[in-house]
Order: sequence, then structure tokens, then C-alpha cells
Amino acid sequence: MTDSPNAPPNAPPNAPPNAPMDASMNAPEPSANGQGLEKFDPRERRPIIKLDQVNVTLGQYQALVDVSARIPEKSQTVIIGPNGAGKSTLVQTILGFFPFQGRLDFQPHKPRFGYVPQRLEFDRHMPITVTEFLALGLTPWPLWLGISSKVKARVFSGLEEVRALNLAAKPLGALSGGETQRVMLAAALMSKPEVLVLDEPATGVDINGEQLMCELLDGFKTDYTIVMVSHDLPTAKAHGDWVICLNRRVVAQGPPDRVFTPKILAATFGLHQGLELFSRDDLIK
Amino acid sequence: MEILASIYDFFGFVYEPVFMRRSALAMALLCLSTSSAGVMVVNRRLAFFPDAVGHSVFAGVAIALLFGFNLQLTVLGLSIVIGLTITFLARHSHLASDTIIGLVFSGAVALGLALVSREPQATSGLSRFFLGDVLTVDDGQVLALFALALLSFLFMFFLTNRLTLACVIPKTKKNTWTDYLFGAYLALVVAISVQAVGVLLVTALLIAPAATGRILSVSLKGMFWLALLAGALAGQLGLWASSQPSINATAGATVVLANVLLFCLASLFRRFFPVR
Repeated sequence: MTDSPNAPPNAPPNAPPNAPMDASMNAPEPSANGQGLEKFDPRERRPIIKLDQVNVTLGQYQALVDVSARIPEKSQTVIIGPNGAGKSTLVQTILGFFPFQGRLDFQPHKPRFGYVPQRLEFDRHMPITVTEFLALGLTPWPLWLGISSKVKARVFSGLEEVRALNLAAKPLGALSGGETQRVMLAAALMSKPEVLVLDEPATGVDINGEQLMCELLDGFKTDYTIVMVSHDLPTAKAHGDWVICLNRRVVAQGPPDRVFTPKILAATFGLHQGLELFSRDDLIK
Repeated sequence: MEILASIYDFFGFVYEPVFMRRSALAMALLCLSTSSAGVMVVNRRLAFFPDAVGHSVFAGVAIALLFGFNLQLTVLGLSIVIGLTITFLARHSHLASDTIIGLVFSGAVALGLALVSREPQATSGLSRFFLGDVLTVDDGQVLALFALALLSFLFMFFLTNRLTLACVIPKTKKNTWTDYLFGAYLALVVAISVQAVGVLLVTALLIAPAATGRILSVSLKGMFWLALLAGALAGQLGLWASSQPSINATAGATVVLANVLLFCLASLFRRFFPVR
């Protein structure tokens, strides 16, 4: 790895700067030939969620420090950052799971959320089929009375939407990581959300599952505002319209082309990660 | 009471004495309640919860005798308090639920022992809770078991889906009141079951039918109905065995043995006919 002329400052890896870099405002304009430009500019989109100086303390640990960020509507926002950066805490705060100090504004009203958690920690030998699991939220009748054909039809169409109809009769605990993610996505979509929140959808998923998930999410982009937590930079770069770099504080936010600079990545992930990615990126170009 | 008598007649083809018919009906009603509650106990991994609540009856009996309270109401009340305490601690401390249940369990037993050791006459009231006795139930207790079965039906009707969802996706705020309601309901089921099969065996009455249902089924619906079937079958089988002169053992023990036997048969079946 050669040293880059744009080497980031010698900041300690876990001490991001106090003032976040707003890549949407300060970064240079994209190249003149227009390559790498977004299909639309998320800066022009109305922010559906706005956080202002949000602080979250979990026990003795301050998980989020003065987080100010915006999430543009009908776009795919990706929150990136290293382990322990508070990515999941941030989305769960938006979902209302944690108390916080600061301001959290929804425009024009608090949206309906669909949430796909990072993983399901449940007893995998519990007898419950995928159809039963998805029917739980759709019917007031107890599962032991059976599922009506009307509810079944809704479950099947929900599964079809995430290309998982073949899983309908399977026990929930027998699904692979990717299959579980898609079933959870179906469950989230069935609640007819305005904002779809996904926590690390690529974790514990094989390569085909990941690709399928990305295709599905790209297809949903026009219908929903998607907020996705990821530590996978290529995924964030390829699919995100708007990227929030988090390391307990917001290091930067903006369109991926502006955010994925060595300086910002180094400040988010630490010195070497930024350098390495920059070099790899260079090689690809 | 005439209605009760005609229901007793239903068991007339097996048992001649009325007290046996009454016991058979009581056991059927009790097993319906415990088996359906047991499905949630097993799926929520609360197998030691009935033990902790069951053992608190010692403290309940001692308190009732010490202060001259109504025995039944004190036992039921203390059980519900213990159930709610476990639920509260499980939600509000960072300890695992088995640690909390172990703590409350020991605390309840210690309190009971401390009180009983001060009042030796309390031990006479304890024996019926220790081993239980389904053969001496009266019409009033049968009616109480009817009420419990009705409560169980309503509880399972309205809360099965919510409790099941909480097994898969825990930690949502909405589950708070469901958890407390479940804790109180389960404590009530346990406190009543203790009087039929005793403190030592009450756990089996809840978890054995559910475990049998679970091992045979891949769906929640299947588990629920198989648990009810296994519970009802084992209840009657155990009671019948207990009444046989050649066996002549306490009904609580034979009912639990029948439950364990059904579980073993289900396990063998599953071993030879695996589901996945």
C-alpha cells in the first residue's frame, strides 16, 4: 500500500472530530464529466426525519453524542460506522426504543415504521411456521384456531413480494440467515410502513442472499424511505443515496460520492481503514 | 349442582364412586388449564417459574396461620405477588431470568421455613400442599376449576398471539402489561394446581404436556392441541391408574408419571420419524 497524498490527519482512530463534516455542503462538486452522479440529488429531498443534538446514554455509557442528522424521504439512507459506533442505537432511538435528550422531528408526521432487526434471538426449536409467524400481526384470532384463507392469502402475497413463497410452510427456526431476513422484511412490509428500517441486513447472510436482499431493497426504493445500518462499505456505496458516517458522533453525512473520501472514512473507522479503502478504490478506478 | 351431577355421570362408565367421578372432572378441567398455560411456559423458557411460585405456598400457609387470614386467599394472593415479582425483576434487572427465578424460589422457601419453624402447628396445614390431593375435591373446588378453565380459555384466546410474538421478538414496550398479566395468570394456575398434585409435581403438570406437544409438532397450532390432548389423556390415565388396587398410589404421582410416559413415547416416535 502506498501512501496517499490525501492522507488523513494523525488523529487517534476513535476520536472523531467534534464538528461533523457535512459532505453535502463542503465537499467538492462531483467530476465534470458527470460520472458517479446520483440519479437524483437527495439534498433536494425533504428530510422525513431530522435529529438535532440527540444524546443517548445506555447505563453508564454514552452511546450517541450530539447526533445531528437528516434522513431524506423516498431514498435509501445508509448509516455506516465501526462496531460500537452506536448505529443500532441510532435507529432504535428513531424507532422510539430508547429515551434521549435533544430533538427528533418527523416531517410531516411520525411515520409508520417497518423494522427488520439485526438478528432474531429466539428459541430456534420453537414450533412455529413462517405462515403462523407472519399471521400473528394480521389476525385477532388466536393461532390455535387456525389461519383463515383470507389471512393466508395476505401472508402468501407478502412472501411473494420478497421472493420467499417457498418458505411458507417451513418452521421459522429452520431458516437460514438470509431467509430469516427476507421473512422479517415481509413482516415489516405487511405493516404498510412509510419508513423501512433495516439493521445490518447483510450480516450472517450468504452472498446470494445478500444480492437478493439488495435487489429487493433497490426495488422498494421508490415506495419507501429506507434506513439501513451497515458496516459493509461497498454495499453502502453501491446502494445508498445518502450516507451517515457515525462513530458515536456524526462524522459526516451526504451522498456516497462525497462521503467516501479517505479523510471522512479515516475519521469514522480509524486511520488505516480509510487509507486501505482509498487505495482499493484507486485500483478499481 | 344438578348440572355438576349430570356431568359426573359422564364419567360413570369408568368410575362407580361419586368422589372418583368428581376427581375425574376436576383433573380434566385442571389439565386443560395447565396444559394450555404450559405451552407458553415452555416456549418462553419459564420452566422453573411454576416451581418458584409453587414453593411460595409454604410461606402463604404459614402467614395465613400466623395472622389468622383465609388460607386459600392468602396462598393465591402470595402466589400472584411472587409471580409479579419475578416478572418485574426479569424486566428490570440485568440478570438472566433463571437467576431471578432461583433467587425468588429460595427466598420464598426460606420465608416459609422461617415462619413454619416458629409455628410448629403450621406443618399440619402444609401436608396437603406438599403432596396435593385431587381425590378429596368438593363441588366448590370443581366450580373453581371451571372458572379457572374459563379464565384460561379467555387468556389463551386473547393473548396467545401477543405472547407468541414476544417469544420471537422480545423487548418491545407493548409487551409490558402482557408480561405482568401472564405472570399473575400463571401464578394463579400454579397455586390452584399445587392443591391437586402438590408442590413437588406442579412443574410437571405444566411442562410435560407442552413438551410432548412441542416434540411432535412444527406449528404452534399443532403444539397447542397436542399439549391439551396429552395433558387430558395423562390426567385421566394417571387418575385411573391410581384407583387400581394393584397400583394404589397417590393420584398426583401417577398423573405426573403418565405425563412423563407420554413424553417418552412422543420422543421415541420423533426419533424414528424425524420431522426435518
